[in-house]
Amino acid sequence: MKTSGAWAQQKEIMNWNKFFTAFIAAFVLLFVFGFLWYGTLMRGAHDEVQALFRIKPNYPWLILGHIVMAFFFTMLCVRFVPAGGISASVALGILVGLVYAGAHLISFAVEPLTTKILCGWIAGGVIQFAIAGAIVGGIYKPS
Amino acid sequence: MKRFILAFIGAYVFLFVWGWLLNGILLKDIYAETPNLWRPQSEMMSLFHWIIIGQALIVFAFVMIYASGFAGGGILAGVRLGVLLEIAAIGMRMAVYAVQPFPGKLIVYGSMSGLIEMIFVGVIVGAIYKPAPARTP
Repeated sequence: MKTSGAWAQQKEIMNWNKFFTAFIAAFVLLFVFGFLWYGTLMRGAHDEVQALFRIKPNYPWLILGHIVMAFFFTMLCVRFVPAGGISASVALGILVGLVYAGAHLISFAVEPLTTKILCGWIAGGVIQFAIAGAIVGGIYKPS
Repeated sequence: MKRFILAFIGAYVFLFVWGWLLNGILLKDIYAETPNLWRPQSEMMSLFHWIIIGQALIVFAFVMIYASGFAGGGILAGVRLGVLLEIAAIGMRMAVYAVQPFPGKLIVYGSMSGLIEMIFVGVIVGAIYKPAPARTP
């Protein structure tokens, strides 16, 4: 089957060293950006609706969540742009950010979030994944 | 373009019906356990257009990603894209669970249903969208 053949070929040229470097860099970016944007810059906005948030974050879940996000985002970039490349990966990052933006809009309709939080989450998501795309696209090269 | 619009409409209709079935009916009792985390029903209805726009944005971005990097692979490529996107979204749900006091079972059911949802969206988009044939002079 044509697709399976292409998939097998893609596996053959997959550069796992570069993949793991890109994944770790994406994880660090997503985590640090998240801490700065959502945990620091948006802290005041989150404090306006304290009942919606835990007093202290559950760090193991937070870290695990970012690992999963970074790993599968990197995998998506590699499948999307097998040859690597920053601009196409940034475009993918923006599109992934828009998927999350859609989910945030739905959350806004059902949770008592403020407009400020909604805008902050949407902007943060798009910027975060665009930068993550640039990093993955810049690091990953097929072997 | 016609295929793009058809794929978008097909996936959107599925996502809307699935979302209503899942969140409006199947998970209703779980949502009711934490009423302080949700808007009152009347308020949700007044903001319903944001749900429609949000779902449309998700489907639009999905079809765009498929059309730009996965088209040509058919249904299998659509499913692959859906699975990759959804597992990344499960990571996002874990991070949300870490900071918002949602019941764990809501995250588990939401993730399982999200995976099924994105597999079906991938099947629909992969089956409908076909790249335009290369033009010959």
